Amino acid sequence: MAADTVREKNDQGYWAFVWKQFRRKKTAVISLYIVILLAVIAVLAPFLANEKPLVCKYQGELYFPVLKEISVGFGIGEFQRQFQNIDWKKLDYDMVIFPPVPYLPMNQDDGNIHSKGPFDEQVVPSMRFHHWFGTDELGRDVLAGMIHGTKIAMTVGIFSMFIASVIGILLGSLAGFYGDENFQVSLVRLWGNLLFLFFAFFYAFGVRSYDITDALGKSLGDGFFQLFISVLIFAGVITLGNLLVIPLKKIPFLGKQVAVPFDLVIMRIIEVLNSIPTLFLILLIISIVRKPNLYVIMGIIGLTGWTGIARFIRAELLKVRSLEYIEAANSLGYSHAHILFRHAIPNALSPVLISIAFGIAGAILTESTLSFLGLGPADTVTWGQLLSYARQIPQAWWLAIFPGFAIFVTVTTFNLIGDGLTDAMDPRLKQ
Amino acid sequence: MKPVEIETKSGKTEAGKKVFFARISFPLFGYILKRILIFIPTLFIISLLTFILISAAPGDPAETMLSRSSSEGQASDKLATERSYRELRHKLGLDLPIFYFAFTNTAQSDTLIRIPTKNHREMLDRLVYEYGNWPQIENYYHQLKTLEFSIIATKKDSTNVDALIELRNTVAKVFIHHQDVVLSALFTDLKEQSALAPNLVDIKAKVEATEIAYSKIKSEASVWKRYVPKVQWSGTHNQYHRWLFGEARWVGEETDPTLGKGFIRGDYGISFFTKRPVKSVIWDGLWITMLISILVIVIEYIISIPLGISLAIRKGSAYDSGMTVALFITYSLPVFWIGTMAIFFLCSPDYIEIFPPFGLGDATMEDGFFYKFGDLAYHLALPLIIASYASFAYLSRQMRGSMLTVLGADYIRTARAKGLPENKVIWRHAFRNSLLPIITIFASFFPALIGGSIILEFLFTIPGLGQITYAAVIQKDYPMILTNTMFAAILTLVGYLVSDILYAVVDPRISYSKK
Repeated sequence: MAADTVREKNDQGYWAFVWKQFRRKKTAVISLYIVILLAVIAVLAPFLANEKPLVCKYQGELYFPVLKEISVGFGIGEFQRQFQNIDWKKLDYDMVIFPPVPYLPMNQDDGNIHSKGPFDEQVVPSMRFHHWFGTDELGRDVLAGMIHGTKIAMTVGIFSMFIASVIGILLGSLAGFYGDENFQVSLVRLWGNLLFLFFAFFYAFGVRSYDITDALGKSLGDGFFQLFISVLIFAGVITLGNLLVIPLKKIPFLGKQVAVPFDLVIMRIIEVLNSIPTLFLILLIISIVRKPNLYVIMGIIGLTGWTGIARFIRAELLKVRSLEYIEAANSLGYSHAHILFRHAIPNALSPVLISIAFGIAGAILTESTLSFLGLGPADTVTWGQLLSYARQIPQAWWLAIFPGFAIFVTVTTFNLIGDGLTDAMDPRLKQ
Repeated sequence: MKPVEIETKSGKTEAGKKVFFARISFPLFGYILKRILIFIPTLFIISLLTFILISAAPGDPAETMLSRSSSEGQASDKLATERSYRELRHKLGLDLPIFYFAFTNTAQSDTLIRIPTKNHREMLDRLVYEYGNWPQIENYYHQLKTLEFSIIATKKDSTNVDALIELRNTVAKVFIHHQDVVLSALFTDLKEQSALAPNLVDIKAKVEATEIAYSKIKSEASVWKRYVPKVQWSGTHNQYHRWLFGEARWVGEETDPTLGKGFIRGDYGISFFTKRPVKSVIWDGLWITMLISILVIVIEYIISIPLGISLAIRKGSAYDSGMTVALFITYSLPVFWIGTMAIFFLCSPDYIEIFPPFGLGDATMEDGFFYKFGDLAYHLALPLIIASYASFAYLSRQMRGSMLTVLGADYIRTARAKGLPENKVIWRHAFRNSLLPIITIFASFFPALIGGSIILEFLFTIPGLGQITYAAVIQKDYPMILTNTMFAAILTLVGYLVSDILYAVVDPRISYSKK
């Protein structure tokens, strides 16, 4: 009995083991805390830097303007008449609590234009409204920009890596699991599906192109509705086509089994993508986009950044697919999809986690680089953008130091987490 | 004594230089040739990818190149502008289909792309989308055009001048609208306006003809055509073929000098922005970027190989652990931040002024070699430091790692056991094998450097490939972007090839004859 419980304690599973190993490395754990802190800053950004008070008592009534602002942003409720188009700082409150940084990143402080430094004489009512990290040329608060920039950086890092991992895991596992020979279909199904793919694109997107773009121009909701219809049509055409194939398979010639060379095709795509330096590819795509907003930038980084993950998981699945438990699953008669998604991929995921951690660092770095070059999202304030202002104003050292430091810390912490994960998951990978 | 068995043809006993030269022999050249042959389809796919991406770009380059200010002019002016615009579009090949074939639907026509004005093309495309009958739509467009010209051509006098101006504005609106409601209203307006003056009978008739043509589109609509797919074959007379292969003759003397020779014959087209051949700009930029990249690589390897080895030898010491942390931090410092800070604090009269903040110096051809060299070195010093620090940190870490792996191998233990001095163990036995991973890294370094040239040259305003590309992206100068991307890809592939060759020279186990 005793021996059993001991074993149970030791066999807490792979992730518990990884976590135990991960905790051993102090730098990695500290980095994790920093990332959590950054995430908290990102989520609480409107409460940390805002022009509206957190709480205020005005003409005998209690208000929560920041909370109200968020609910207005979601489309619930509206600001009271007396609060519309006013300067919140100039109201005569009975009681008021402003956020720690009482500024918004995009709004100008007219008294402090032409980049006032932290130690310069600032025109502020009290030290409570001091610009601790200075202002830029237009009089916008740098600290507020950095707090809201955290939100942008974290969003870009996580979402673009999400896109990259979905593509990378899917294509990488197809290449690794099936290789060039293991995916057999009948001749008619192979060519049929290529043909149906064309028809599906034609009827789902080609025929409806203006319907979709018009709806997207009208509102995001309408656009998604039209896209949803398109996806339904797409799926419908493919399904219909595959039903048509079934009787045709009876014909000997058409029913001949052929292998789909997934590995060859996917590796060639990766090779081509890797032959164009990433920044050139990204710039090429940005040059054809009318106005790069945040979503476009995230999409571009995700679409160009999946090759590393795909190669990682391909290599892992090449190893996994010859292991005994996959053979066992095969002989038990499970379907390929079942084996791939339930057994093979989960076991190959751990090294992908490492490359995702490094990938987030890379994505944040790419976004800041683009913003620094003036090609980033135009509708928000980002760290790279703040840093680029330093090039125009030779005295504003605060613009050169603070935003760059934020980028550095974020990128480094994600890299350290990746490093820690490497150590924890596969000690052999690390020298 | 060799660490691993040699499979080269030259035999196992030969050592040192002889093996080195034996290895650069026929099989290796065969291998290189094979690799170059593999590059061709890759480059072909890259050219296809970049070209198709670029052709999706919004805006009409011909429209931006010609500043079309004469829309208010006389009929002859208007005609002249239209003609020069059409000629420019023809010269740039914009009136050609984009690719050899296209997947469209039967409603679409291949003549649509020849309509010069972009707004009009969009309007017509909308009409095709809505009604699907190109012949009627084309007829309507012709009627509208005749109407426009007759309005411009009508002699102005005191009775009709107001009416003419109004008519002209309304027609301009008709050209860009496709919604039925809007168009009906506009036609009512047109009829009213043409009735304002007595001498506009001719125009009134044309307005009616146009309206009839429009109602014909609606009455003879064939929406079903949109749902029938069509593969449209355009042959070699398309934009991609023209860009890649050119139209000039391959053999013999070309009689028409205006015909382009295409990318593969060294003709990269005309810049939309400067209106000069792309070729005149690109080579200088390419050389500068190549020079910087090669210098950076040399610097990195010269510093990081000895550093990595010294760290590996003193593994576990305070020196090792301290340097490891320092290198990690160095590696994580974003280039554009350190670059900005360096320019900020080291190139500015407000702080310390050691380096020049931008450019490559002002040495001219007449200056002496030493002046030229000194000036270039002075201007390149800071960019080189900034470009190399991050990767040198990474490279040193890798070198340390691979040296440690090699030092743990059995044959090193053997070498030590037989009493060889440590120096000899490291340099004669471990060194060459520990280089292998570093050389593979070269393959990923080179593209990173070419990509990084955009940031570096932006920071220091160096007129290299990166800076040219950046400017082209800002100016939406598509031939320039296309050419630069192609060259960046070619340089990357060359980098891969060099890394393969280096690998072959260093690693005796690799046999190319068998492949």
